[in-house]
Amino acid sequence: MLFLLALASHAADLMVDVRSRLGQPAVLRGEFEQSKQVAGFKKALLSKGDFLVARDRGVIWRTREPFASVLKLTPHEIVATQGSEIAFRLSANTEPSVRVINGLMFSMLNGDIAALAEQFKIAGTAEAKSWSLTLVPKQAAFAKILTRIELSGDVYVRRIAMDEANGDRTVIQFHKQTPEPAKLSADEVAQFD
Amino acid sequence: MSRTRWLALGWLVLVLAMLGHNAWLWTGARLQLDTDVLAMLPLDERDATVQHVTRQLTDSASRRIVVLVGGGDWSGARRAADAYAQALSPYDQVVSVRYRVDDAMAAQMVDFFQPWRNQLLTTQQRHMLGSQPPEQLAARAVEALYRPMGMPRVGVWGDDPLNLFGTWLATRAGESRVRVADGRLSLVDGERHYALLMLDQRGSAFSMAAQEALMPILAHAKQQAGGAMPTVEVLAIGVPLYAAAAAAQGQHEMHTIGAGSLLGIVLLTLFAFSAIRPRLLVTLSIAVGLMAAISVCVLLFERLHLITLVFGASLVGVAENYGTNYFSNRLGRDPSERWHMLREQGSVMWLAMLTTAIGYALLALTPFPGLRQIAVFSAVGLLAAFVTVLWWFPFLDRGTMGATRLALWIGSRRALWPVLGRNRFTLVFSLLAITLLVLGARSIRVNDDIRLLQNAPPELINQQMRIGKLLQLPSPGQFYLVQGSNQEEVLTREEALKAQLDTLQAHGGLSGYQAISDWVPSARQQGADAAMVERVVQGAAGVRALAMAKLGETAKPMAVPAPIEPLRLDAWLSSTASEPFRQQWLGRFGDGYASIVLLRGIDGADKLERAAALAPGLPGVRWVDTVAQVSDVMARYRYRMGGVIAASYGLVFAALAWRFGRKAWRALLPTALASCLTLSLLAVLGQPLQLFNVLALLLILGMGVDYGIFMLEQPDRDAVRPFLSVTLAAASTLLAFGLLALSATPALRAFGLTMLFGIGLSWLLTPLFLPATIKPIQKVE
Repeated sequence: MLFLLALASHAADLMVDVRSRLGQPAVLRGEFEQSKQVAGFKKALLSKGDFLVARDRGVIWRTREPFASVLKLTPHEIVATQGSEIAFRLSANTEPSVRVINGLMFSMLNGDIAALAEQFKIAGTAEAKSWSLTLVPKQAAFAKILTRIELSGDVYVRRIAMDEANGDRTVIQFHKQTPEPAKLSADEVAQFD
Repeated sequence: MSRTRWLALGWLVLVLAMLGHNAWLWTGARLQLDTDVLAMLPLDERDATVQHVTRQLTDSASRRIVVLVGGGDWSGARRAADAYAQALSPYDQVVSVRYRVDDAMAAQMVDFFQPWRNQLLTTQQRHMLGSQPPEQLAARAVEALYRPMGMPRVGVWGDDPLNLFGTWLATRAGESRVRVADGRLSLVDGERHYALLMLDQRGSAFSMAAQEALMPILAHAKQQAGGAMPTVEVLAIGVPLYAAAAAAQGQHEMHTIGAGSLLGIVLLTLFAFSAIRPRLLVTLSIAVGLMAAISVCVLLFERLHLITLVFGASLVGVAENYGTNYFSNRLGRDPSERWHMLREQGSVMWLAMLTTAIGYALLALTPFPGLRQIAVFSAVGLLAAFVTVLWWFPFLDRGTMGATRLALWIGSRRALWPVLGRNRFTLVFSLLAITLLVLGARSIRVNDDIRLLQNAPPELINQQMRIGKLLQLPSPGQFYLVQGSNQEEVLTREEALKAQLDTLQAHGGLSGYQAISDWVPSARQQGADAAMVERVVQGAAGVRALAMAKLGETAKPMAVPAPIEPLRLDAWLSSTASEPFRQQWLGRFGDGYASIVLLRGIDGADKLERAAALAPGLPGVRWVDTVAQVSDVMARYRYRMGGVIAASYGLVFAALAWRFGRKAWRALLPTALASCLTLSLLAVLGQPLQLFNVLALLLILGMGVDYGIFMLEQPDRDAVRPFLSVTLAAASTLLAFGLLALSATPALRAFGLTMLFGIGLSWLLTPLFLPATIKPIQKVE
């Protein structure tokens, strides 16, 4: 019993520790490098670009290389555009899991550990400044798709690694993250609409 | 004297036998009550198929209560719902709760369909694969690969580069907004989260005991949920709740209206006769009538319809007149005179009985089994009550009965009535009556919509609408019935229907539909889809090869997929994946199989019309509108009933003419006029004409003519007894039926209001039409 209590308090301590180190600003911009190893492929798929996370609005994920495309995730929908053409659109009205997917993306980029703790069992370590966590889905249906997420960082999340059940592995590194300016420009606001 | 004794004794034996029969029926719950309105339609007009479907649907739904708990964030909703479920758990014998679900349920659905993944396509996917060039599709597949996050994918990319299966699953899951979260059923609406609980009431939804037990438990559970989450919103809906609301309403009215009318009737008789005996005996006569009616109907029809019981019971109420008439004539006479009195009154009472029985007998000649049952019930009940008065009352009523001051006062009021003739009163009366009749004729309208009869509390209706919207429930009252000689034919016919529905949906005719073939397409469709996926996606020049080339990967040849058996309906039906939709498959049905296709967002008459118009062009597809059907039944009954009443007037007039000769019209016209004025009054008040008003008119004829007969038999202005008898009978009827006008149940209110006006006016008008002759003048003649 005591042992269990100690375990529980350890998990809670870890969460508090990590949260205290994270900035979680209202607006966060930065650059990313993504490497995706698809099961059965010889080479990993590399892509680069920049991203924008705005609290209450969602995420803009803009790939510049190897081709230009924009992925927008808001509480209401997921929209992927290539040039001016919409390649993919999914509305939360018809598919409630859009919220889950978008919430997950937002929480990972912004380091919202409390939100992640609702869906995942969390373990890990916290050093003086840096931390790293391993997330395992609580729900069986979720685990059928995503087996594990690794998050690490300091004031910001610096690296995400996702393992999918089908063997695909995605690793994303972040650079040049900044909370300034704290307000969205008119152009950025327009991107969310 | 011995003959009367034998009759009374014989009747006693019969009544005892019927008493035994009734006791046997009621105590063992052997009385089968039919509540399905369609069961009252004529056999050849009643569609057995539709009836079967409706029964199957309502049976499964009649015990279910759906509860949504929440309104805020998910953790609050979860806490509140846990508390709600916890509060219900000790009452497992009243209501069973389905709340916690297996987390693995959603995963099971994926596993179940996976073997058939390459032959299950949505309409949109079929369209996409058929119309877009493979290069474009390949570009899309590549773009999707670079997204950090997107639609969940099942299996490796190479097996399904366009994620067809993931999208198919998501589309299917999109049929319902309910999801599994934390081992509970959940629902999200904007920022509001709800947990879903399914309750099943034990026992029948219409059993009083079950209802009484249910409501306090649910209230307690709601309170507990509020304790866990103060801002909680608890929405509950289901047939048991409507039934309980109706029962509570009925009980409340029984306590107020019922007690009020009983008290009034007892007091009235008590003061008029200064004895309780008359009331007891009149009640006895009606009780014997009801008992006999139930016995005979059960023997003849096996099943008794609820409507028969309600209306038959009121029609037997005409028997009130005979008992009251007996006692009014007994008043102030020596007990020894009662035999003589009865012989004297006998013929006129027989006439009163006969004129009422004529109407009921005509009912029996209609082709509607429901009306026939009501007719047999009423006629038997009336006869039995009448016989009880005639054969038993002299034996049971031995005491003296002095004329009370009140009785004499009531009876002598007759002298106050003016006489119609060449006088100013007649002119004013005629003008008033004609004005009212013209006004009524101009504003009368008919409405048989069954929904008029609904009187669920607005609170329940609001919750029904909220939950219907939140869960996006399909319409329960209208659907397509799809039939075929085998399962495959049903599914292909569904698919033909769905093609039409897609077009209709594109034009805004509905917002969606729900069909078995969405989950298990016909074998033909599965074969076509498999061929399309093979050609467009997996083939040598397909999307997969093109995308691989784009990515610079060498495409490993796909292991040639073995020809896969189509997904069979039986496999799906026996898996957990089909659980929420299983009821739409009706299985073996007549000579073949059948299913139903449900529609969403089909509100408004024009949408219903357009949906109905699709069916005739499609083989094996029928449009079923249960609401319209019931309304249609009501309309036919009303129409038929109107005919019966018209014919009754003719026959009653003939019977009256046989006894009263050229004076006969004086007994009938007051009732006819009262009925017409009643209809006018209702029309002017804005009440639409329904079956229940018309049923009341038949009762008014039966009672009103009795007033005419009793009065015309002794038409003297100073004759006390006939007017006393008529007034007491009218007062009792008004107290018993007229007070129903206060009911909140629309059908009862319509009935009660008609009785109130009709009986009141019949009583008021009858003395006006009596011959102007008074005793002195008669003597001169």
